Amino acid sequence: MKRRSLFNTGLGVVLFVAFVWSLVDLGISPRLFWRGLPHFFRLVSEMFPPSWEVLTEPDILWSVVETLSMAFLGTFFGAAAAFVLALWAASNLTPSRLVRETVKALMAAERSMPTLVVVLVLIVVIGLGPFTGMVTVAIGSIGMLGRLFAEAMENVDPRPLDSLKSTGASKLQIIRYAVLPQVVPSLIANTLYRFDINLRTVLFLGVVGGGGIGFHLHLAMSLFRYADALAITAVILSVIWMAEQLSNHLRSVVIGRETLR
Amino acid sequence: MKTHFKALARFRKALLPVFGLSLLLIGASAVVRLDLMDLVRGLPRGLALLRHMVPPEWSAMPRMVGPAIETVQIAFVGTGFGIVLAFVFSLLAASNVNANRALRELARGIMSAERALPDLIVILLFVAIVGLGPFPAVMALSVSAIGMLGKLFADAFEEVDPRSLEALAAVGASKMQVIQYALIPQVMPSLIANSLFRFEVNIRLSIFLGVVGAGGIGSELIMATRLLNYRTALSAIIVILVLVMVCERISDALKKAVIGHEVLQ
Repeated sequence: MKRRSLFNTGLGVVLFVAFVWSLVDLGISPRLFWRGLPHFFRLVSEMFPPSWEVLTEPDILWSVVETLSMAFLGTFFGAAAAFVLALWAASNLTPSRLVRETVKALMAAERSMPTLVVVLVLIVVIGLGPFTGMVTVAIGSIGMLGRLFAEAMENVDPRPLDSLKSTGASKLQIIRYAVLPQVVPSLIANTLYRFDINLRTVLFLGVVGGGGIGFHLHLAMSLFRYADALAITAVILSVIWMAEQLSNHLRSVVIGRETLR
Repeated sequence: MKTHFKALARFRKALLPVFGLSLLLIGASAVVRLDLMDLVRGLPRGLALLRHMVPPEWSAMPRMVGPAIETVQIAFVGTGFGIVLAFVFSLLAASNVNANRALRELARGIMSAERALPDLIVILLFVAIVGLGPFPAVMALSVSAIGMLGKLFADAFEEVDPRSLEALAAVGASKMQVIQYALIPQVMPSLIANSLFRFEVNIRLSIFLGVVGAGGIGSELIMATRLLNYRTALSAIIVILVLVMVCERISDALKKAVIGHEVLQ
């Protein structure tokens, strides 16, 4: 008990010292904040009124479509790949421990892989463009979705599985008739959640050359066209808001319907 | 006859989503110019890239240590300030701490607005305001934490056993004392676990921030790829992967140390 509190105090002190050292080392001081304040007011005054006319530019509108397409396709293909991998990672579907552990390790490695690394490598391999963005998003979804899918599969009621197995059903039949019906709601709910994340990831990709509306926002900010940037921000926020409403609605439809049964 | 209709209805119910999904897939594929040949054509380029990347430029490694530490520092300081900001907002937003409903709704509103705001917008905004360097990065990370951490903190506060708060208030403890002696001890494990999770998010963001000029290991990587120095780029990638994994391990260990210990009590 006493040793515990000593440990906690020590940890607190270490973290605090590290914090202060980092602050000093990074050269962060309140002075920087006060110096930035006039910039802030100038920025805000230049942002208003937002120049809504950029929204009539076909480039901007197209980039919204592009952003949504990248996120949608990336999520779809990522979820499809994650589903196949999850079949190999679930202990009740794959008896071989070696296969399971290998697939799980691959998925864990993907989860620790920062998106920046993936996108920079893919830009070299495939080239710039929305296709690269889509593949990045797809790869980035595999680790998280694969793990969640595998957990969902492992948690299914084993009885339908066993009874199908005893009638001599093939692996595919077992998956189709015993596993899928039980996991589909959770698969769809998790995939929709990942879509919300991926939409934000696609925005980031615009900065490194993945295209989409994020690119236009970055461009407007770098060229000091703040009024344009505000209008683009408004577009981004409304697109994200609408996508979230839609995915919430779909999620409640899928989950609600299944719990009623 | 009736079963016939039922089958038809079920068929239509299943057909509509499948049809809609296929339509969306076809449309989106056209938009991103999905071409599997791109992948096939990319394969030799990928192999060539691999040849240019391997072996990594080991001599560049010592140069990467400084930027890697800077990335961790940005994430660490950003998390620290983020925790403080989120803590203040969550106290204002928790119904068992703040009795003023209007203020509570305001705090909740600000937090959910911040959650809706993509991190990229926050980051670009701070870069525009305070310029390049670690300072805007730290500010962006701190502000980005308000939405997510603030909500998690406020939810944790509201789940606290109300009897312990009432007992202290009944003996005449001040608001600060109730917070310090009844509220904080109960929510501490969840505060720490969520803060550590935020730190892991911030490490990734901090790596990315190098692209928009915050420095750190992210800018080493992007610089190396822009200069087509692929062997140096691979060194940076290795450093990044080690960094992420080490931070995850430390965060996991701390989480276990803190939560395991609190649960035992």
